[in-house]
Amino acid sequence: MAKWGMVIDLEKCTGCQACTMACSMENGRLPGEHWQDVIFYNEGEYPSPQLKWFPRPCMHCENPSCVAVCPARATYKTEEGQVLVDWERCIGCKYCMIACPYGVRFYTEEKPRYGGPDMKSVFKSGDAHSWNPPWKGPAENWTRGVGTQPAGVVSKCTFCDHRISKAPKGTADLDPQNPATREFTPACVVTCAPGARMFGDLSNPNSEVSKAIGNKNGVRLLDHLGNKPQVYYLTGEGGSVPGNRVLPTKKA
Amino acid sequence: MKYKSEPQTLGELLAATITLAKDPSAAGRWFIGSMAVLVISFGFVMFQLITVGHASFNTSSDGVNWGLPIATYVFFALTSSGLTMIASLATVFGFKQFYPIAKRCIFLAIITLVAGFSVLALELGHPFRMLWVVPTGVQVMSPMFWMGVFYTIDLVLLIVKFYLMWKEDWDSPLSHLVGNAGFVAVILASGMLGLLFGSMVMRPMWFGSFTSIYYMLTAALSGAAAIVVTTYMAYDFDREKMPAQLKAFASGIELPRVFTTLIGITLVMMLARFWTGLWSNMDGLEGFAGLFRDPLFHVEMWVGLALPFFMLLSEKAARNKNAQIIAAFLVLGAMFINRLEFIVSGQTVPMFKGNWTNSLIAYSPSVTEWAMAVLGIAISLALYAFGEKVLDLSATPDHLESTEATAARAAT
Amino acid sequence: MSNPLNPTVSRRRFLQATGAAGAATAVGVGTGALPGFTAIEKVHAQPAAEKSGETVITKSFCHQCPARCGIDVYTTNGRVHSIFGTLDNPLSNGKLCPKGHLGTFLLYDPDRFKGPMKRTNPKKGRNEDPGFVPISWDEALQTVADRLNTLRDKGESHRFGLLFGRGWGAVDAGLLGTFGKLYGTPNSGLGHSSTCADGSKKAKLYTDGNYDYSSYDYAHCNNLLIFGAGFLEAFRPYNYNMQVWGQMRTKAAKTKVTVVDVHMSTTGAAADRLIMIKPGTDGAMALAMAHVILTEGLWDRKFVGDFKPVVQPKDPAAARLPSPTFETGKEIDPALFEGKWTHGLIEWWNAELKDRTPEWAEKITTVPAREIIATARELATVKPSIALFERGPTAHTNGVYNGMAIHSLNALTGSLWVEGGMLNQTTKTPWAKLSLKYEDYMDDYAKSDDRKKPKIDGVGTKYKMASAQIQRIGEYHLKGDPYKMDTLMFYLTAPIFSSPENNGWEKALQDIFVIDTTPYPSENAMFSDLILPDNTYLERLQIADTYSFQGYPMSMIRTPAVKPVHDTKTFGDTLIEIGKRIKGPTSEYYKQLGNTENIIKQMVAGFAENPGDNGVNDYESFKAKGVWFNKTVPYRQKDGVFYAWDKESKSHSIPIDAAKVKEKIFKTPTGKFEFKSGYMEQEKYAHYIHDKHGIAEDRVGFPQWIAPKYSGTGDLHFIASKLPIAAEGRAGNLAHAIAVAQPTQGGKRDVFVEINPETAAKKGIKDGDVVLIKSKTGSVKAPARIYAGVRPDTVFLPYFHGHWAQGRWAKAEERIQKNSVNEVIENVSDPISGLACYYSGMCSIEKA
Repeated sequence: MAKWGMVIDLEKCTGCQACTMACSMENGRLPGEHWQDVIFYNEGEYPSPQLKWFPRPCMHCENPSCVAVCPARATYKTEEGQVLVDWERCIGCKYCMIACPYGVRFYTEEKPRYGGPDMKSVFKSGDAHSWNPPWKGPAENWTRGVGTQPAGVVSKCTFCDHRISKAPKGTADLDPQNPATREFTPACVVTCAPGARMFGDLSNPNSEVSKAIGNKNGVRLLDHLGNKPQVYYLTGEGGSVPGNRVLPTKKA
Repeated sequence: MKYKSEPQTLGELLAATITLAKDPSAAGRWFIGSMAVLVISFGFVMFQLITVGHASFNTSSDGVNWGLPIATYVFFALTSSGLTMIASLATVFGFKQFYPIAKRCIFLAIITLVAGFSVLALELGHPFRMLWVVPTGVQVMSPMFWMGVFYTIDLVLLIVKFYLMWKEDWDSPLSHLVGNAGFVAVILASGMLGLLFGSMVMRPMWFGSFTSIYYMLTAALSGAAAIVVTTYMAYDFDREKMPAQLKAFASGIELPRVFTTLIGITLVMMLARFWTGLWSNMDGLEGFAGLFRDPLFHVEMWVGLALPFFMLLSEKAARNKNAQIIAAFLVLGAMFINRLEFIVSGQTVPMFKGNWTNSLIAYSPSVTEWAMAVLGIAISLALYAFGEKVLDLSATPDHLESTEATAARAAT
Repeated sequence: MSNPLNPTVSRRRFLQATGAAGAATAVGVGTGALPGFTAIEKVHAQPAAEKSGETVITKSFCHQCPARCGIDVYTTNGRVHSIFGTLDNPLSNGKLCPKGHLGTFLLYDPDRFKGPMKRTNPKKGRNEDPGFVPISWDEALQTVADRLNTLRDKGESHRFGLLFGRGWGAVDAGLLGTFGKLYGTPNSGLGHSSTCADGSKKAKLYTDGNYDYSSYDYAHCNNLLIFGAGFLEAFRPYNYNMQVWGQMRTKAAKTKVTVVDVHMSTTGAAADRLIMIKPGTDGAMALAMAHVILTEGLWDRKFVGDFKPVVQPKDPAAARLPSPTFETGKEIDPALFEGKWTHGLIEWWNAELKDRTPEWAEKITTVPAREIIATARELATVKPSIALFERGPTAHTNGVYNGMAIHSLNALTGSLWVEGGMLNQTTKTPWAKLSLKYEDYMDDYAKSDDRKKPKIDGVGTKYKMASAQIQRIGEYHLKGDPYKMDTLMFYLTAPIFSSPENNGWEKALQDIFVIDTTPYPSENAMFSDLILPDNTYLERLQIADTYSFQGYPMSMIRTPAVKPVHDTKTFGDTLIEIGKRIKGPTSEYYKQLGNTENIIKQMVAGFAENPGDNGVNDYESFKAKGVWFNKTVPYRQKDGVFYAWDKESKSHSIPIDAAKVKEKIFKTPTGKFEFKSGYMEQEKYAHYIHDKHGIAEDRVGFPQWIAPKYSGTGDLHFIASKLPIAAEGRAGNLAHAIAVAQPTQGGKRDVFVEINPETAAKKGIKDGDVVLIKSKTGSVKAPARIYAGVRPDTVFLPYFHGHWAQGRWAKAEERIQKNSVNEVIENVSDPISGLACYYSGMCSIEKA
């Protein structure tokens, strides 16, 4: 069974947010509800200020705290390593949003932040969907949190479950530049112009993601919390600071 | 001896309710007033939830996920737990002086829990779905699951206990068993509610086993404040109208001592909490500095806790009716602020939102959220006024009641 | 175990997973067919597919910037739900920028015009409801034709003008010139290049003889110096820029990137070195860099040329003469130097460069001399290098000279036409010519000398060297100089919002009959009398060539992914339909022309003999692949020698002579790169430049420093450039774009004006305060963001919000900014290039 993971090369990332937009349209997201976001920070003083950024999808943690806190067992870890929300079980208590260290979960029911009318009232849904974007895709699977969601539930990045779940078993790399795997690759990875994103099987040491993590010292966000994200960042080919003070347990 | 005026059947209960609505007494006025507020606030909240949905809240995915409604729930849940703890002083630990308020405590514990759950239900995306997914999910890793289990057990035991009290069964082994079990349940429930926050290592302002203890002890404080306020409320803030036993208890030093001690403990805990919070440089604790700049926090700290503490320090003042009432009101207000402050400040440090949030997250509740808090208060007030008039909440075990007291009550 | 890389396997699995019906027929045409998806023919062959649940990919190309990335449009059940880059398109390579994905929203924008409409309220104004009422296409077209025929009858056909923005090619912009000739107006096809890139194009024209965009070989470049171009935000082709960015930053010998700008954008932040320069002074820095390169002997001798060998005294006892060098402040005898592919270096040195020291430049630019020296040394030694520039340096009164100074660095470093450098595209797509000749359909009226009227935009008269002057049309109309316009038609442009001092247009359009072809509400449409809505790009059949980005020709086709959602018509067909209604032989011409599809089919016939590298050779294969290209780059320079492509050896190995270089490479009077521009020295221009800039006529040809004239009023420079998500014109009403508009500052409903902390403190402005930015021409409000990444003498407000008529999200009540940034910017043009001086405006700020 694959353990899907992503590698994001910050040396390449231009902060353009094509990933965010591709995700928004692919997954019928409301504006501002960014399953995938690019987070910018600035500090420092003129004329040597800093402006830095990194893309932030769901980390699909190995030890997801959001799964543990869910009283409804609506959020769960799949065999392929994704963390998904079952929209037919979710009670909308938002505890998972509280428990996610990475801020990647969203409750649709909130005031629009973009100004102007609420998209949900402009593109009204006549059924249980929270809204009805005219551009919504054909993929929908509420038990896996795919498609336009119903009201009152929490949503999150699925690693584009509707795409990756169709990849042939044993696929090591979901490379968008390979016509054979392109359609199975997450939308953010497909569109990333500088090629800053890679997607593949972390459990396969020969996959491109595994190689990149090994060769370029991939690091994970907030490693000290022990959630063990399945999204790794490459911050440059040189040294890399350890994510944690303790070495991981050696496997026999 | 059964207190005969208590309704015995559903029909009688209904009749009593109608009578109460027409009753010109204090309880009657409270009942009418709070029912009106309840209906209006419920209507408003429902209208908002149906037309706008939870978007009528000022909570957001990028900011504060849990706002005033959750704080209101926590306030009521912990107050309920505190009331049970105070009742347990008599029913579990044998401090007989506390018997005059035991029944009222148990009743109040039930209705505050009902009020809390009502507000919580309105806050959830799918409250009815909860009824089947939580039992079928059995997510034993989730603090919220256990909180639900313990508070459900707590509520059942409270109702059983109140039923037994109503049946004048104060001393049977069953009654003691239910009382003891209820105390354990309430410790677990309030402690688990603390752990619901305390387990969140990614939210360092909440994290730690301390939160569990903090929740239990501050629960006791808000319970103590609630019983002082409500007891006086039942008798028009006039000690003279109280039955003798209760009057004696109200004039006594035991309750004020317990109350003052709990304020003191709370002050010490807050100091300790703020010491570590402000001292540490760790990412995620910036909210403590933010709290320090929040005027509401200072109202809680100085007006709501420090002032009552010093007011009740001397024995003379502690026995003083007005001092007790003012202190209890202030503490109850402080505890409400405390729940909001605790819950919101823990979320003000953004989780990787960068420039989208720009600094600590700002949050102030929306009108709908305030209406939900008002609704919670109205539910408890209406039920309380109802209980005060229809049920004998000052009842005590027979062996404690003096003839005078019985006579006095018969006269009313 | 199945092979994951075996497409057959994956296709079968895909079909199993989706349960797609008709799997057996899901075999695409050509190699572009993706597993599980039918090629485009299937859509047309089977309109019933609309409800089949099958997903169909239509080939098109994006409309949201000049780049024209090939796109795959995913349609299921007649609904477009996804857009991705086309994998086998050499520009998009399967990728997209953030804007590209929003095409679906653009298609289904609920604010779109539903069909042709006419105005009923004669009053025009920002707060006047036009009172549009729907009319039939027939009525709409006849209204235009009647109006045009009446003008023609009065001999006033020149009073009809057609202004256009992003023209795509033969079937839209390509029709305008012909229409003007047949109908009889010099004003059909007034372009927008003077609000676009004319500064850089003219600077290149004057020095290397090419009035065009450059093709940059980023993938092999080791040093990229960017002057005032949003390389990772708006510089075209944005998507491709980002693709090569990924390569540049991770290739062996990582490309060193230096950015010269007035604030820190993502480009500046991602670069290795950011230099924050005083607005409009980039030319001074470039001149100083040239000074350093020459004095330190770092120029590319094989390309530029060198000093001739010194003739030593015959007497062996006499002191040996030293080789000449460039020494600060010292003139050099031009006879000592022999230019190779450059002309006039010593004359330039003597006239300008010898005193342009880094210390001199520091005083003007505020850039420390040591930074200038370091950047210059690096540019000349870490090669191949590219000095790239766009509107930052050129949208100023001294823009052309700034641009020429920067472009001269490319000559000094020998970067022109080398691998890893830059070149111009010399070949074109082999479109077949139309059999129909418009000349055969010109009547006496059209041929009459009376038709030779000056253009309304002043090009050729007031602006002798400019190619366009769209920003002045309103002003000239108001003055009646040289005449008043009667009717203006707009296609993909709206100077009433985008032109400097745009508010002036609101007056100008009062007494003009305005026809807009936009599919969406806009400020321009609010002032229109007639709306002839275009199809959006996903509904449109259209062809285009790319600009010369890659150095080889590439052409794309837009195939409609869905039938028009509303009662709209592709602009080209609208114009043809109007033509059919014009009196005289004109109508016959357009009847013969038929429609745009007919034109496209005729043109594509040229592919039969010249199939693209991807095998595209006819209309059907073109639609299936979406792109035709031929990757051969005909010429390259290496070590000072120009070579032509050799098909046999598949390399640039056939040396070409100077005559060929003059014909194909440097189209200048000398056939070389000119540091002394022969073009500008022509009498008609030298005199003009002298008049405008006061430069002595014998100096006009040199890249040189003249101080920029700042316009407007106030103590701060006002810079308003584009954000990555600013789609061409429509992002302001796309809620998804608004929600991520300015990530660097957290602008998700409003965009923030960046103010340096020092400046903010001086003005008493706190972060988040609403600030009023004003100059003598107007004012705009925006929330403040205190940001150390902007110069203290500059405020930066992105060109994004302020659309007061673009739709429900654009004009949200809650948004602080209510009008265009251009109201603050005075309408001043670079007298030479004609480029609007967008970045020369001054403003003052105060707490609102």
